[in-house]
Amino acid sequence: MDAAPVWITGSGVVSAIGLNKRECLAALLAERSGVEEVQYLQTSHHEFPVGEVKLSNEQMRKRLGIAPDALTTRTALMGMLALQEALQEAEVSAGMLPETAFISGTTVGGMDKSEQYYLDFLSGESHMEYIALHDCGSCSEVVAQHFGKWAMVTTPSTACSSAANAIILGANMIRCGEAEIVVAGGSECITKFHLNGFHSLMILDERPCRPFDATRNGLNLGEGAAYLVLESAEHAQRRGVQAQALLSGYGNACDAFHQTASSPDGEGAFLAMKEALEMAGLSPQSIGYVNAHGTGTPNNDLSESHALRRIFGSQLPPFSSTKPFTGHTTSASGSIEAVFCLLAMRNGFIPSNLNWSQPLEEGVVPVTVTRKAGLEHVLCNAFGFGGNDSSLLFSKPVGR
Amino acid sequence: MNKEEIYILSAKQISMQQPLDEEWMEHPLYPSEPFVRALNPDFKPYIPPMEARRMGSILKRAIAVSVEALRNSGLVVSTDNAVPSVDAVITGTGYGCIENTELFLDPLCREGENLLKPTCFMQSTHNTIGAQIAIRTGNHGYNMTYAHKHISFESALYDAWLQLRLKKIGTALVGGHDEMTPVFFEILRKGGIFGQGAEVCGEAATAVVLGGGKAVDSKQRLCRLAGMRILSHFDTETLNVALQGLLVGAGHTVDDIDAVLCGVSGNPSSDTLYRSEISRMVGEKPLLRYKHIFGQSFTASGLGFYVAVQCLKRGFIPDFLYVNEKMQLSGAPKCLLLYNRGDGHSCSLILLEA
Repeated sequence: MDAAPVWITGSGVVSAIGLNKRECLAALLAERSGVEEVQYLQTSHHEFPVGEVKLSNEQMRKRLGIAPDALTTRTALMGMLALQEALQEAEVSAGMLPETAFISGTTVGGMDKSEQYYLDFLSGESHMEYIALHDCGSCSEVVAQHFGKWAMVTTPSTACSSAANAIILGANMIRCGEAEIVVAGGSECITKFHLNGFHSLMILDERPCRPFDATRNGLNLGEGAAYLVLESAEHAQRRGVQAQALLSGYGNACDAFHQTASSPDGEGAFLAMKEALEMAGLSPQSIGYVNAHGTGTPNNDLSESHALRRIFGSQLPPFSSTKPFTGHTTSASGSIEAVFCLLAMRNGFIPSNLNWSQPLEEGVVPVTVTRKAGLEHVLCNAFGFGGNDSSLLFSKPVGR
Repeated sequence: MNKEEIYILSAKQISMQQPLDEEWMEHPLYPSEPFVRALNPDFKPYIPPMEARRMGSILKRAIAVSVEALRNSGLVVSTDNAVPSVDAVITGTGYGCIENTELFLDPLCREGENLLKPTCFMQSTHNTIGAQIAIRTGNHGYNMTYAHKHISFESALYDAWLQLRLKKIGTALVGGHDEMTPVFFEILRKGGIFGQGAEVCGEAATAVVLGGGKAVDSKQRLCRLAGMRILSHFDTETLNVALQGLLVGAGHTVDDIDAVLCGVSGNPSSDTLYRSEISRMVGEKPLLRYKHIFGQSFTASGLGFYVAVQCLKRGFIPDFLYVNEKMQLSGAPKCLLLYNRGDGHSCSLILLEA
């Protein structure tokens, strides 16, 4: 199979630890978490710490120059902030957008407005314009239209692996010759809908989450957005832009075990990582760091540990979950953590798995202090409900 | 590259027509209300009744229609599975699992943030559909879901088409699924999304099995997917360039197109645009419709795809599909262009050939 790597020529991110890559990098290096008491979401559940983006919708509108009365959602606003950074870094001008595809994963879509106005929707008397923003696709459209006309816009929605899957679609489009440049990732805000949903499943922790720790007791929800600019090598070279990193492999597999729980042996996760390695033509030993999905739920972390053991045997590479920094950013986690991987490769460090103290049953031990490391190849995992497991493999460009 | 031929091996539907068969080609049912729910088949052969009781309509329909499509695909059944296995399960759904979303959202908004049911939340996520298909058919392959308004089905089809051409996969189950509740339909009607003018809103469950190249038994091929495009801005020039590229890639000219199947729905504003855009693209060609008997939904275009596949397979187009009955094909259709312009945000062009 032809597996010429896809170039990554730009990226942008918004999360609880920063409104751009520079801020996120500083927080990762300083081991500064953005998970704290809820501040922006109107909820009665103050007992659950969350990783909110530290801006109100009004502040985001102001930054983006969007009129106070323009229809939008929090997911769309965060998406615009991240997309703006990615496009600027990759030097993608408005004139290039009609040839550029935009693939943006989300699952809650416009639920923040729907839950606010649902009773108005029922009476049909006010705020009816917001029903047009309820669905996931509308969210991507609103983000896209802020920047101009695009070749194609679509929306993967596979819960917590949505953004990783967006990147996979984008890469397949480039490898198939259907596009030369694709911007892919995802965006998701915290809503009462899924905060209460995760609560009803009893997988939220009232303390800061502790991925891969024996005492882990659930996840903290987070929010944010991130996008990667994917490009064919020829296209990037033609317009004289450098590769920040290469996407050299990726895998998507289905656990096919349970709607919300992972299988004990981590079959889906194992298959996804295996496929990514095979596609890149790399041995497990060449991986310098794994950014684990590591949500902090008892089930995910144990299952993922088994999958890591099955891939790497006793020679586990350094790994960590960065969710204690950002909370679990659900549909956006795949691309937010992909950007963290690019930052780690570029700046030569491995981010810490905060809040860890005791090994879990499987005995795998994450990196618990941020440390310097030269990284050539890193794996980034994103797993979703429905056993939707994806893994992305990033490599340092030759000579960088 | 691009030499891999992609074939449709089976196509099944559940909608406001008789479910899981092609009875509609002889005896179509005409809707008389602005919102008509799908006719459900007996789910017992597909889902144990105890489990079915806890499932939303969209899941039950998706499982039934997918199992039927897989069983009819001619693909080999492995010993440990009841249905043939495919390399990828790719789903399109505009609104996802709206029944369970409503069951979670309504008490959340009326009664506040307590005592909410985990089952409703678990089933509210869009990719519950693809996950359930995978769990029930024991499929560990590629699993993906798209939720992008009127091109949700096409996004799923496009993903399969790319990966079949890349030979990353050899077979795929592609679905288009949307359910609708009376409450949600009322909201959408008042919000101007669906049910405008004479448009009838329906529900959709389509399952299509695709296979690439030589691995596919020629007897099983219903038709060929000759190419497709999804565009998010489509002025006349962009549309013409896209159509030309599509035709050249498929080895055709515009003269080879026998008819155009489009999404006219009775909504006067979009119907007018359909006619003018199609005539600018291909000139005067017989125009076909399907939403008058299958209804409008975000994944209605999946049903349109199914309709085109069945017409090509049977070599005949029922009279009631022609927008203008005076402008009919004389022989069997060989090449159909499918055009879906949705609500103007995105459009898709699909070329199917007998």
